[in-house]
Amino acid sequence: MSGADNAIEVRDLFVGNGDLTAVQGVSFTIPAGGRMGLVGESGSGKSMTALGIMGLLPAGWHVRGSVRHDGVDLVGQSDRQMSKRRGRTISMVFQDPLSALDPVRRVGRQVTSILRRHLDLSAAEAERQALDLFAQINLPEPARILRAYPHELSGGQRQRIMIAMALACYPQLIIADEPTTALDVTVQKQVLRILDAAVRERGSALLMITHNLPIIAAICDSVAVMYAGRIVEAGPVAQVFRTPRHRYTQGLLRSQPTMDNISFDAGARLPAIPGMVPPLTDLPPGCPFHPRCAAASALCRTRMPPFEGAPHGAACWHPADGAGEAP
Amino acid sequence: MTPLLELDAVTQAYPLPRDRLFGPRRSLTVLDGVDFAVGEGEAVGLVGESGAGKTTMTRAMLGMETPRGGAVRFDGRDLREMGPDERRAFRRAVQVVMQNPRSSLDPRMSVGRSLLEPLRALGVAEDHAARVREVIGQVGLTESALARYPHEFSGGQLQRIAIARALAPRPRVLIADEPVSALDVSIQAQVLNLLKDLVDELGLSMVLIAHDLAVVAYSTSRVSVIAGGRIVEQGAPRDLFVHPEAEATRNLVDAVLTMEDGLAGRGLAAGAAATPPVTSHQARRGR
Amino acid sequence: MRWLNASLLVGLVLTLAAISVALLSLVWLPYHPNIPNIPERMLPPGAPGHPLGTDTLGRDIVAQLMVGARTSMLVGAGGATISLTLGTLLGLWAAATGRMTDEAISRLADIMLSIPGMVTALVLAATLGSGMWTTILALSAFFTPSFIRVSRSAALAVLQEDFVTAARLYGRGRLFVLARHVLPNIAGVLIVQFTLYFAAGILTEAGLSYLGVGMSRPGISWGLMLNEAQNTVGVSSPLALWPGLAIVVVVLGLNLLGDGLRDVLDPKLARRAA
Repeated sequence: MSGADNAIEVRDLFVGNGDLTAVQGVSFTIPAGGRMGLVGESGSGKSMTALGIMGLLPAGWHVRGSVRHDGVDLVGQSDRQMSKRRGRTISMVFQDPLSALDPVRRVGRQVTSILRRHLDLSAAEAERQALDLFAQINLPEPARILRAYPHELSGGQRQRIMIAMALACYPQLIIADEPTTALDVTVQKQVLRILDAAVRERGSALLMITHNLPIIAAICDSVAVMYAGRIVEAGPVAQVFRTPRHRYTQGLLRSQPTMDNISFDAGARLPAIPGMVPPLTDLPPGCPFHPRCAAASALCRTRMPPFEGAPHGAACWHPADGAGEAP
Repeated sequence: MTPLLELDAVTQAYPLPRDRLFGPRRSLTVLDGVDFAVGEGEAVGLVGESGAGKTTMTRAMLGMETPRGGAVRFDGRDLREMGPDERRAFRRAVQVVMQNPRSSLDPRMSVGRSLLEPLRALGVAEDHAARVREVIGQVGLTESALARYPHEFSGGQLQRIAIARALAPRPRVLIADEPVSALDVSIQAQVLNLLKDLVDELGLSMVLIAHDLAVVAYSTSRVSVIAGGRIVEQGAPRDLFVHPEAEATRNLVDAVLTMEDGLAGRGLAAGAAATPPVTSHQARRGR
Repeated sequence: MRWLNASLLVGLVLTLAAISVALLSLVWLPYHPNIPNIPERMLPPGAPGHPLGTDTLGRDIVAQLMVGARTSMLVGAGGATISLTLGTLLGLWAAATGRMTDEAISRLADIMLSIPGMVTALVLAATLGSGMWTTILALSAFFTPSFIRVSRSAALAVLQEDFVTAARLYGRGRLFVLARHVLPNIAGVLIVQFTLYFAAGILTEAGLSYLGVGMSRPGISWGLMLNEAQNTVGVSSPLALWPGLAIVVVVLGLNLLGDGLRDVLDPKLARRAA
């Protein structure tokens, strides 16, 4: 398959800092216009994967592997080359829109400067495009918001502006890192809907990073589950969520209290995953999930299971065969 | 059932800066005639968006602020009428678990010292060291945790420690303010189960404050919905979620994403989900 | 060992060396640092019995440097200690009470900061006469506002934390919260600040003495030695070199110590490492 029809191809990505390896050989492909969810908890390496792709790692961190995008390998690109790319062919929406926006510049200036930098538009032309964008993301009174400062807007409005900025130049890929976690629940769905529509309209691909499984079910067509720096299960959303094979995925699906699995019985208990996420500095040998896994055997304690199966695969010595979540 | 801790028509308002130097005095009403109660051994939930008044209600229940109107009663006694001894008994009887476990434990105090703190401060007449060992076991940690410092623990473990600290003085009411929203997803269920077990085993009353309906539905038998400083609906979780009546409740229910809808391709379909406009009220509150 | 970083180690060695020399000067000196010895005047470094030579009046340089170290340590430590104590008390008071008191203390700090330190020192020297105690007093007036600001803003951050709310809920009073929760959490910042101002105090003292409003004979300080050496610059032996070098080494040592301590004591860094 040629790389041209994929928005991104990540092969054997390692991200580390000194002895610490946060991402250990992650591989995935998102076809043009595809949408992949990346699930993981703190310390799973999901955010470091995103920052590694974007070339936005903090000082001292390094990347190894290959990230094919737009005909080039992003690993090894200079910061100058990457900054030309960021916001144009590949862009990112962060969790906290307040800290991602410059507090002392009007939001209009922040949006138009991207348009002018990447698309070479005149000031007037950029402002017209910005107003168009604001209308697309359902912002009321776009002309007023253009002149507002970030602190004058609500969290939902700010996040919609971040989405508008990320989409302004019709990027091939958008990476959204927990874009709705900081928002009020009633605003979340609305922001997701806008993201969904805007991505669809532009034919952009989406990498949605979140620990919220229903969001991935709603917006993505494939999903990869990360644990302790590795992808432990991946495949089409419906298959992974209906018939999870890795015990961790299964546990996550069962333990998260959602309106699907909630029981209104007073005596009901959530089937929690025991134990805690291992710190990266102290990973257990073999499968990193084995101390928390009911199905763990001697093999799991000594050898890392290979990732097997396509399109729905898992890295587990004893994959579950049946239904994970009772529908 | 007579309520153990009760807000009776509580109204709270804060002064706002004047528009002009000699303009009229204005104030912002945060709670507007709120009735809320938790009975002995009962677990009740409180849901609402940020800015709806949850925080102010929590502060009123903890006696951290005195409402302008109405009364906060514990065991039938108005907090304002309590003498110093009664007040101390109240402080001991109502304990809180806060959202962010990293902030709720002093990083310079060992875990053991942090657990001793409420016993000493509240003058609990009991063998303190033994009580500390007992509660750390009740939350599923070993005594070796006592000599260590907060930075050595994960978020989930710290929240267990915070729960242990709340249990130490043998409270009658536990107020849990978003106790799992800052935790990893695979840990949330553990902590929710722990809270549920403790409430059952110790016969505690619990007020669970959360924005996540599923969390509240799982943990409580009765839920109140707050919006714009008023309790707009109250009832059993199942009734509220199946037949929401107030608009705020409907918005909250509609906002819930479910796995089934998502996999069926209608995850983002508009329910009633009216765009909640950001009122000037919220904009001012959200600093 | 994680906490033993390079700048901490070097800083600690230099600082301890300076303190040892200052202490040694109390019990032993190679020569009397003030009695002139005209026949042996202006000896070059390496002269027998005088490893760094002598000055224009034949006084031994090593002996003078040793007494100068004592002055520097006393003045630096004195100024930094007084301003640390006073500044922290006022800063905590401002942070804990808020409103009017906070306003008053913060504005006072602003006003003090707006008066140039040298002017304060000159005025004090003119009214009280120059000398070590005047210098310490001037440094304290000069540094206290900085300590007020640092301790106030650090304390405000701690007071926002939930564990303070918890303590208040247990009925703990303001003093307890300040002593048991706030102070331990801001101690790291204050210790770092202390070492940096210790160094700044030594520099300022040298400057004042050089200008002639600090120490004067029979007192000896490195700044005074610089002052006396300026007439000989370019004439003969490098008299200005030795006190200058001493100042650089000690100030560098204290600054390195401060930086090293900052890395060790910052709870945020400790948290990240965990």
